[in-house]
Amino acid sequence: MSRPRPPGPSATGALAPAADAAASSGSDGWARASALAIDWAPVAGRILLALVLAWFGYHELVRPGLWTGYVPVVSPASSLAIVAVLIHGWLLLVLAVALAAGLATRLAALLAAVLLLEIVISLTISGGLSDLTLRDAGVLGLAITLTGVSQRRLVLRH
Amino acid sequence: MRLGGEPVGRWGIALLAVTGVAGLVLGWHGWTTRAVTATPPLAGATATAPASPAGSPAAGQARSASAPATASPAAPAGSARPSPKLSSEPYAGFAYQVWPGTPSTAARQAMTGLKITVRKQGNGLLVMAGVIGQPASPPHLYAGGTRVYVLEAALGDDSGSADYNLGDDGLVVTDAQQRVVP
Repeated sequence: MSRPRPPGPSATGALAPAADAAASSGSDGWARASALAIDWAPVAGRILLALVLAWFGYHELVRPGLWTGYVPVVSPASSLAIVAVLIHGWLLLVLAVALAAGLATRLAALLAAVLLLEIVISLTISGGLSDLTLRDAGVLGLAITLTGVSQRRLVLRH
Repeated sequence: MRLGGEPVGRWGIALLAVTGVAGLVLGWHGWTTRAVTATPPLAGATATAPASPAGSPAAGQARSASAPATASPAAPAGSARPSPKLSSEPYAGFAYQVWPGTPSTAARQAMTGLKITVRKQGNGLLVMAGVIGQPASPPHLYAGGTRVYVLEAALGDDSGSADYNLGDDGLVVTDAQQRVVP
């Protein structure tokens, strides 16, 4: 009775080219995916951050009274709180457009990070660590990441 | 021109300038309509009417009993213009009924951080609304009121049992015709 023979050197040798080819193909695919990510992931990051800033900026400008509860120290019913929300909304809108168009993205991301840091600190002080605070901390992380990335794709040049 | 070490061309500057101006226009719109779009406060009073000072229960009853000159369904017909319907108010889209009946899931979420107590009294409703953790405001009598709604423009500002932004919360009471009771 013959037992199945374990693959010997000859068998491995026969398989090697195919395995190498597969590995090489996989490696090429991975390299292509990496190159694609290096090029486009920052674009996705700044467009999505721009969307967040634009949404909040627009709503703060159009209905500031609904956002005064977030203004620290100042009474939500005061005109000062409304003005603070309007200024904040205006800044968010301009930063959103700058990020979306790829204009001075690192500076825009830095300013966005400062605004988000203020929001995270303010939320943490007022309500402690919560899902809202940590979600904003994640957006802050995105903004900080974009301060270190030079944009090459989808940028308004001249 | 360089901004933050990065070159920004003429079109870029123009785009930022246009955005800045658009933002100013939107901001002006927001400033001029800030009173109209505000939600009625938890203490009572409609968005279009001036907020009533927080009074004692007796003061609230006296105000309702004397049929104020402001629009009120409790006022005799013809004595004042009718209150607006809830559906015509800017906050109608985010009004959640909390009384009578069992509040919906959205209504319960909208009430996060708030404490609202409703009791029938005569032909009206005695409503006490306040923020959890803060001193309760005195009850307010809504003459002719039949339904109570909590207002919450953005449910996303609620987390757990805390409401981070009370600026978009409010309370409104309507009569049987769904008109806002001041």
